[in-house]
Amino acid sequence: MRKKKKGLYLSDKPPLTTFGKLILGLNYFILFSYCIVIIWPLFRMTTAAFNGKQGRYISLTGRYEFSLKHFEYLFKETLYLSWVKNTLMIAVVTALLTILIVSFTGYAYSRFRFKGRKASLMTIMLIQTIPTFAGITAFFTLHSIVSDFFPFFSRQMMLILIYTGGGIAANTFILKGYIDSISTELDDAAKIDGCSYMQIYRLIIMPVVRPMLAIIALWSFIGPFMDYMLPKALLTKPESYTLAAGLYTLMNNRETLNQPAFAAGGLLTALPIVILFIALQKQLISGLAQGSVKG
Amino acid sequence: MRVELINLGKKYEGRENFTIRGVDLVIEDREFCVILGPSGCGKSTLLRMIAGLNSITEGELRFGGKRMNSVPPKDRDIAMVFQSYALYPHMSVYDNMAFSLSMRKESKHIIDERVREAADLLQITDYLYSKPSDISGGQRQRVALGRAMVRKPKVFLMDEPLSNLDAKLREHMRIELVRLHKSLDTTTIYVTHDQTEAMTMATKIVLMDDGRIQQVGKPDEFYNKPINLFVAGFIGSPTMNIFEGKFQEGRFHSRDSSLVLTPSQEDLEKLRAYEGKEIYLGIRSERFHTDKDDEQITVMVDVVEMLGKEKILYTKLGEDEVIISVPGHKTFEENQHYGFSPDKEALHFFDGETRQRIN
Repeated sequence: MRKKKKGLYLSDKPPLTTFGKLILGLNYFILFSYCIVIIWPLFRMTTAAFNGKQGRYISLTGRYEFSLKHFEYLFKETLYLSWVKNTLMIAVVTALLTILIVSFTGYAYSRFRFKGRKASLMTIMLIQTIPTFAGITAFFTLHSIVSDFFPFFSRQMMLILIYTGGGIAANTFILKGYIDSISTELDDAAKIDGCSYMQIYRLIIMPVVRPMLAIIALWSFIGPFMDYMLPKALLTKPESYTLAAGLYTLMNNRETLNQPAFAAGGLLTALPIVILFIALQKQLISGLAQGSVKG
Repeated sequence: MRVELINLGKKYEGRENFTIRGVDLVIEDREFCVILGPSGCGKSTLLRMIAGLNSITEGELRFGGKRMNSVPPKDRDIAMVFQSYALYPHMSVYDNMAFSLSMRKESKHIIDERVREAADLLQITDYLYSKPSDISGGQRQRVALGRAMVRKPKVFLMDEPLSNLDAKLREHMRIELVRLHKSLDTTTIYVTHDQTEAMTMATKIVLMDDGRIQQVGKPDEFYNKPINLFVAGFIGSPTMNIFEGKFQEGRFHSRDSSLVLTPSQEDLEKLRAYEGKEIYLGIRSERFHTDKDDEQITVMVDVVEMLGKEKILYTKLGEDEVIISVPGHKTFEENQHYGFSPDKEALHFFDGETRQRIN
């Protein structure tokens, strides 16, 4: 027979006192309230999206009937599909460009010693604190100048460049820190084995920093899904909108107002991100750097 | 291959002083040369300069008579084993070993043959397809060696390769490295701060301190004829006993005259010029005997260290501490006085100013 333990134990610590139990209870209370704050709106959104009895406004009371009519509306009556297409295009290109540029900068800042290395790193970092939106007039001007010379340079491309540029500083910092933690003896070994700097990065460093690159790619990918202000300001035609800007037309425009469809759109928007998370999960948590040196 | 270092110097960017300066050294073909020195003496920098990982500020590096100063590492026909092994973590053991050859665009067939040959020799065939993270430290060490071997380089460079292994394994690998060196028939340059490794493995030891070479020679020369006070203090465990004192009337007097010694006839010849001058006297801990002698010293035993085959006595003689090693079966009590006589055939004398060897 197992002896029943007296008192409340947390892991391998001494039993909790009454005060400790009280604090523990409080912890759980805070955590649960926080969960409700997050889950309740999501729950409402999901039910509203599938509720056939909802009109143009989401009402919290009223009857429920399962239906896909809001999704139907979304696909047939709105430009939802082209928004998805736009967003995916912008997000993928942004992620790829960010990875490419940050690979170069992160590796260079970590491995090479050059004049102005620290100063330039700090400068980009400081400039980063100014919100991207503050440069909106500059972006407009830049775009009109560039598109005069290259007519194919669209507003969407401008958006991609802004997203990419915005991410470079912080991500360079992160990647540099990660590469710093990799022994430079790996570089030396590769150099003796006959690698050029490009090959060292591509064949040795990149596979080792893959978890970090995956995170950077993921964040860059999510950015365009979340941002509303820049696409709204930069993009003029509803056909070129991204999801966030496009879906918002279902909320603020009296003619096209349809809140349940907005909820349905929001729900679908989450899908690619969730899929990506699941796909990259292994990369995100793998500890590849283990076992390379010592141990 | 014969490796020549001619007046080699290194100054790092942004530093005022040279890290290494005026290094002249010739390493003959097939020699096992150990570069020994305390940490921060520039020995790793020197090795990295030979490898081409660090640039050479002044002087010349020659491999087999050819100037190598600006030849990139991959074209120097060298292989290097790193302290941390530096195995590529995302590649299997096989790929790690094959990497340098595949970078050289060797045929698959040759690569496979060489990798298996090296794996056989090092007994790592069983885990050729494991990742470095899945094998033990000793096995990683072998893989690192194997990776260097498959290239069949002319010069092997090793940067403290055994310092991450535990004591037993280190002892074992030491012998194996020597065996390997003999079977491969190449020049090996080995950097370490461990004098045991240097004494046991080297055919030539280079002792460095403060960016300069202190002494070059065979292991027994280092032990029996240290060229200066630094070498005398660095080589040997326990450390050699050093007494400061004066040479007066044909005898050595320590500071407080608790030790007065008449050197052997041979040494006296060389000491003649030092009459009345400050000199240092060095005696190794095992060169004391308990036989009665007219210049016997009486020491007070402070601590006894039992090592099994011998006992190390940390004793007091006036102001000086004297370390004496005695056979393990003899009994010595702490806080007791005992008489010992230094072996006059084994005295080392050093100049008080230049600290160079006299006899």
